[in-house]
Amino acid sequence: MRMDDPLLCVRGLKVGFPTADGVVKASNIVDLTIRAGETLALLGETGSGKTVLGMAILRLLQPNTRIEGEILYRGRDLLSLPQEEMQKVRGREIAVVLQNSGTSLNPVLRVGDQIAEAITLHRGLKGAEAEAAAVELLDQVRITDPARMAREYPHRFSGGMRERALIALALACNPSFLIADEPTRGLDAVTKREILNLFSEVNRGRSVLFITHDIEAAASLAARVAVMYAGEIIEIGPVDAVLSSPAHPYTRGLLESLPAKGMRPIPGSAPSLIAPPPGCRFFPRCSCGAGRCEIEHPGLVEVGPGHYARCMLYD
Amino acid sequence: MHGVCCMIDVCDLKTYYSRGFLHRTSVRAVDGVSFGIEKGETLGLVGESGCGKTTLGRSLLRLIEPTSGRVIFDGTDIMALSRRDLRRFRPRMQMIFQDAYASLNPRMRIRESIAEPLRIHGLENRAGIGRRVRDLIEMVGLNEEHLNRRPYELSGGQNQRVVLARVLAMEPEFIVADEPTAGLDVSVQAQILTLFRDLGRDYHTACLYISHDLGVVRAMSDRVAIMLKGRIVELGPTTDVLDHPCHSYTRRLVAAPGADRGFSRPAPCPAPSGSPAMVEVQSGHWVEAAAW
Amino acid sequence: MPGRNTALYLSLGVVLAYCAVALSAPVIAPFDPFVISGPPLAPPDATHLLGTNDLSQDIFSRLIWGTRATMVLGFLGAVVSVVMGTAVGIVAGYYGGRVDEAVMRFLDVMMTIPFFPLLLVLTIFFRPGIYVTAVIMGLLGGLGSVRIIRSQVLSLAVADFVVGTKALGARDGYIMARHILPNVLPLVGVKFVTSAQHFMLVGIGLGFLGMGDPNVVDWGQMIERASKNGGIVLGLWWWLIPPGLAVTVISLALAWFAYACEERINPRFQVMRV
Repeated sequence: MRMDDPLLCVRGLKVGFPTADGVVKASNIVDLTIRAGETLALLGETGSGKTVLGMAILRLLQPNTRIEGEILYRGRDLLSLPQEEMQKVRGREIAVVLQNSGTSLNPVLRVGDQIAEAITLHRGLKGAEAEAAAVELLDQVRITDPARMAREYPHRFSGGMRERALIALALACNPSFLIADEPTRGLDAVTKREILNLFSEVNRGRSVLFITHDIEAAASLAARVAVMYAGEIIEIGPVDAVLSSPAHPYTRGLLESLPAKGMRPIPGSAPSLIAPPPGCRFFPRCSCGAGRCEIEHPGLVEVGPGHYARCMLYD
Repeated sequence: MHGVCCMIDVCDLKTYYSRGFLHRTSVRAVDGVSFGIEKGETLGLVGESGCGKTTLGRSLLRLIEPTSGRVIFDGTDIMALSRRDLRRFRPRMQMIFQDAYASLNPRMRIRESIAEPLRIHGLENRAGIGRRVRDLIEMVGLNEEHLNRRPYELSGGQNQRVVLARVLAMEPEFIVADEPTAGLDVSVQAQILTLFRDLGRDYHTACLYISHDLGVVRAMSDRVAIMLKGRIVELGPTTDVLDHPCHSYTRRLVAAPGADRGFSRPAPCPAPSGSPAMVEVQSGHWVEAAAW
Repeated sequence: MPGRNTALYLSLGVVLAYCAVALSAPVIAPFDPFVISGPPLAPPDATHLLGTNDLSQDIFSRLIWGTRATMVLGFLGAVVSVVMGTAVGIVAGYYGGRVDEAVMRFLDVMMTIPFFPLLLVLTIFFRPGIYVTAVIMGLLGGLGSVRIIRSQVLSLAVADFVVGTKALGARDGYIMARHILPNVLPLVGVKFVTSAQHFMLVGIGLGFLGMGDPNVVDWGQMIERASKNGGIVLGLWWWLIPPGLAVTVISLALAWFAYACEERINPRFQVMRV
C-alpha cells in the first residue's frame, strides 16, 4: 500500500433495516475515502444516516440489517471478514467514541474498570498494570484527579467528564482510525470548546471520522466535510469550500438556518426512508428545483477542486 | 434596575436545596436573583449546566418552591398565594420544557393533550374545544391528521409544536422556555424558533428564554442575563452584553466557539456607579460589582 | 407475526373457558356435587365421566363446581390486591416525602412476615368463607405490588408532562387519575394476571391443608381427600389427577397470557433512530 492510499474506502454502501412497515433504506450508495491522518466530518441531521454509516464500518448494526457494498480498510473488505477477525479490528485498529447517552458507560461498573477492560482485551496487560494504564488515559483526557475518578461510577461524572471518559475508552489501544459519534451533543458552549480542543490534541496524526450535526464543531476540527441528507452524501469537499461557498441547496439552507446567519428555516421535513422520492431526495424542499430533479437521481458532480455536490444544477 | 410597569418583577429570589445524608449540606441553586421583564419582552438567560437556570425558571412558576424572595406578576406576589389561588393563576404563566417528548403524556393522543388545558379550566364547551384545538394545531404548523397520533409517532420538532399549541391554548401572558430546542437539528430549530418568535409577537407574551446557546439567545432575546452559580452576573440589552461583555465570565462564555460570529473586541468598561451588588456600567447594562 | 398473537388468544381462550365453566356450573354439571349418585370409587363410565369418589359423589361435577372457588380466589384476590397496591403506590409515589416514608416503613415491617404462614394463621383462627379469604389474600399479597407501582410512579411524578400538567393548574387528584394511572396500567395489568395465578395456587394449597370452607367444593380439598383416602394406593387416577391437571392448565394459561401481554405493550414505544 502506498503512502497516500486511502486508509478507509467505502464503496457503494447500502444499508437497510427491515421493519414492520417496510425496509428503511438508511444508507444509499455511499462512497467515501479517508486518508491516513485526515479528519473527515460527516455532517447531517437526525435521520440522515450518518450514525448508521459510522456503525456499519465496524459492523455494529443489528444482526438483521441488510448491508451491500464494500468497506475497505487498509485494502481488506471489512464486510467480508469473519467474526474473529473483525473482533481484532474493533478497538485495536478502529475504535468508536459512542454517543454520550445514559447507557454509553455501564452504570454498575467503575469507570476505571471499564477502561482497564479495553486495555486487557487488546494490549494484554492485566490487573494492576491495566488499572495504571487506565488512570494514565484518564489523565491524558484531562480529567482532574484521575486516580480517584477511575474508582468512581459513571453517575458521578458530569456530561463533559463522561465524554472524556468515552474518548479515553476509545483511545485505550491507540487505534489508527477513530469514529466519533456526536461527541459534543448536549454539552454547553464552554465544555464543548474544551472537548473539541482535547479532541484535536489527542488525535494528532490519527484518521478520524467525526460524525456530528454541529456545523461549528465540524468547521473547527475537520479538513474535509461530507454532508449527508436522507441517507446520501449530497456534498463533500474541503471544509472551507463547503461551508463558505456551499454548492448544494440543502447545505446552503442548513447554513442559513443557523441563528447567527439569519435563522431562515428550510420548509418541510426530511423524507421517509422507507419510500424516498425517486429523483433527487431533496427536491420536495428545494427552492431551485426543476422538472428533471423530480425524475432523475443526480450523481456527485465536481464543482471545485476536490469539491463535489449531488445536484442537477451542476450536471 | 427595571421599569415601574413590569409584567414580571423578581426580587431577591432564593431556592436552596438540602442534600446529604442528614440534610446537612445546602445547595444554593438560586442565590438572590432580581430582574424584571416587560410585557412583550424576551429576556434571555444564559449560563453553563448547573448554574441554576433551570431551577430559576421553575421557581418563578412555583413548580419548585423557592426558599425566599418575591415574584410579582402583574401586581400580585405569586409567592404569597395559597395553592388554590395559585392554581387559578396558572393559565397566565406557562412553561415549555426541553424534552418535548417527555412533556406529553405518551398514552394520550395529540388532540387530547391540546384540549386538556381548555378542559381543566373550563375555558370552552365541547364544541368550542374542538374548534380551538383545530385552530391551535394549524397555528403551530401541523395539520388535522396529526391530532389522532400519539407523541411517539411524531418527531422531536413536531412534538415541540404540539407543546406550543398546548401552552398557547390558555393564551398565557408569560412563558418560561427552558432550552426548547436543545437536541433538535439546526433546521428544525430554525423552524421552531421562528414560530415561537412570531407567536410571541402576535400574543405580546413576556418570555424568559433559557439556553446555553449564545447564537440562539442573540436571535431570540431583547435583553440577556448571564447566570453563574445561582447569581446573575451581568444583565443588559443583548447586543450590548454579547458584543461588549464586562464581566470576566461573560467574556469567557462569548469567546467559546459556537457562540456567535460578529463578536467585536470588548470596549473598556466605564467606571462603576450604583449600589454594591449590581452596578450600571451603561444605560440598562448591569454587572455584578464583585469581580469584573 | 403469528407466534405472538396465537399465544395471546389461546391463553385468553383458556381463561375465558374456565370462567364460563365456573359461571355455568349449575347448568352443565350432571350431578349435584354433594349428593350420592352412584357406587363409591367407581371408575369412569358413561354417566360418571370421571367416576365417583369415596363418598359416592360424581367427580366430574365436583371438578366443574370447583372451578368457582378457584376463580373467585384468584380473580377476587387479584382485584383486591391490585386496587390496594395501585392506590397506595400511586399516592406514596406521587406525594413523596413523609407520606412515602410512612408507607415504606409500614411496608418494611409487613413484608418481613411471610405471606403463606400468616394467611394460614388467619384462616385457622377465623375460618372465613372463600370471599373473605380472597380479600385477605388480596390485602396481604397487594403489599408486594405497592413497591413496584410506587417505583414507577416516582419517576412518572417528575416527568415533564406531569410537571407540565401541574403547571397548567390541574388538581393532584386529576393528575393521579388521568396521567399517572394510565401510565402504570400496563404494570398493573400484568400484576393482576400474575396475582390471580398466584392466589389460585395458594387457594388450592389452603384447600389441601383443610383450611377451605367445607361447604364449597374446591380442588385442593379434592386432591387432599383423594390422596388421604387411598387414591394413590389404589391407583384411582380419575380421582387424583383431574383437579391437579385443571389447576396446572389455568396456571399456565395465565402465565402465558401475562407474558404475551407484556410483549405487546413494550414494542409499541420503540422508535428507531437513524
